[in-house]
Amino acid sequence: MRPRLICACVLIVAALLFPVGSARAGSGDMNIEAQLIWGTNDTKPDSKLRPVGTVLSGKLKHSPFKWEHYFEVHREDFKANLNQEKTVTMSRNCVIKVTNIGNDQVKFQLVGKGKLVNTVSQGLPKGQLLITGGDAENSTAWFVVLRQVD
Amino acid sequence: MTSMTEEQQLRLQAFLDAELPEKDAREVAAWLAGDAEATRLAGELRNTRRALADFKPEWRVPESREFYWSKIKREMDKSAPVQAPAQSVSLFTLLRRILVPLGAVAVLALAGIITLHQVGAPAGHPVQVNAILADAGGYTYRDEAQGMTVVWLSYPAEKKLADSPSPDTLPQK
Amino acid sequence: MAELEYSSADDRVLVGAAQKGDTDAFEELVARHRDKIYARAFSMMRNEDEAIDLSQEAWVKGWQRLAQFQGESSFATWITRIVINLCLDELRKQKRRRTESIEELDEEAGGVERQMPAITTNPTERLERGELRQRIDRALQQLSHEHRSVLVLHEFEEMEYKEIAKAMDCSIGTVMSRLFYARRKLAALLADLKSEK
Repeated sequence: MRPRLICACVLIVAALLFPVGSARAGSGDMNIEAQLIWGTNDTKPDSKLRPVGTVLSGKLKHSPFKWEHYFEVHREDFKANLNQEKTVTMSRNCVIKVTNIGNDQVKFQLVGKGKLVNTVSQGLPKGQLLITGGDAENSTAWFVVLRQVD
Repeated sequence: MTSMTEEQQLRLQAFLDAELPEKDAREVAAWLAGDAEATRLAGELRNTRRALADFKPEWRVPESREFYWSKIKREMDKSAPVQAPAQSVSLFTLLRRILVPLGAVAVLALAGIITLHQVGAPAGHPVQVNAILADAGGYTYRDEAQGMTVVWLSYPAEKKLADSPSPDTLPQK
Repeated sequence: MAELEYSSADDRVLVGAAQKGDTDAFEELVARHRDKIYARAFSMMRNEDEAIDLSQEAWVKGWQRLAQFQGESSFATWITRIVINLCLDELRKQKRRRTESIEELDEEAGGVERQMPAITTNPTERLERGELRQRIDRALQQLSHEHRSVLVLHEFEEMEYKEIAKAMDCSIGTVMSRLFYARRKLAALLADLKSEK
């Protein structure tokens, strides 16, 4: 019992010193940016595609992903109203549905070729990224990057 | 052009690989002693073996420890337990395991540990991932330092092009 | 009971803990041996994605079969055998889907490699270590899956002919022919007598 009590006290102290949970109640709408990104080791796969920004590129390169270059295929900026589902088309095969479920949380659904593929419920405070990805042909990869913006 | 038959060549190889019974090995050794072409071939085969013995390629898993393990763990969780079911470790047990060697420095380290173990949970929100398609397994990976949660969907290779929402063409604006 | 220090624990201790359901112990085994298992898979498949998938599958199978591991060999050897069998299964599946090229059929028959005169230069004396490693790597890449598998299993896993024949589901004679061909082709490539693809 005592070790648990000690541990609990330490936890409380740590939580006060280093708040890890957001006490702020996120209410209202969220401005969301969604990017469809292609990861590849080709330096210039398609002249129509532009490289992603340096910040995102740096994050992706520091991740376990093996690809060297990331290109933005499509971007959508939209408002996700509280408790409402927003459907956004990212490409011919890729549709996303984003629901703002309050408190800086979203429910993110990926629809590929008309079929619901995956659902993620996740906190998305500003500064955080939610990335869903998978393999594409020729050893490349696709990613949908979601973030809350101002 | 060699004068050796295929059978002789393979017998010579087997001799060098110590695969022949003793009697056959003695016969080949005697033949080698008197046949220059066989001796040259034996030399070549030995040199190749020596080169391969020194071959130490630096092939490493091109994924981080955590990411590589997360996919394995997910499949393990789906399969039957080895013997007894894996004991669920409470956060207190986990922390005690870590706190014992850390001692009094725990407070600062503890905050980091709490953060590390809230997998996929920035700001304290748990992640729920539901893969709808049976083939689309989702592996969740959380990188605190980069502030990102990654859900990686793995499709069977044959289905990738047909079913995955891969970036094919730019949408018409 | 003393806490298990995973990073310094012997493999046998970790296996014992993992057999009781300790996934942390198993994770330490994975971390410790993952590069070796991946390298074995890559040496056979020569494809990074396939090597990752098959090596991970080997770890999952290792977990499922851990109760059967009694320490008759080292853990590393045991898990290596699992990944080898998975690679061979996958290669067989791929072969069924693939049509044989003329070159592959020629390889099976022995081709020019059987007829060429012996190469007397020693590549380990002639080439720098780094260059030799690169050449061997490229040469392995050029072999067919069957020839490469036999070479890997014999030279790197030190399996006997009959073990290789059983693993590859072929005759000992086939193992010997493929091994001979693979070695001669390698010798020619290292001696710079064949143009590379």
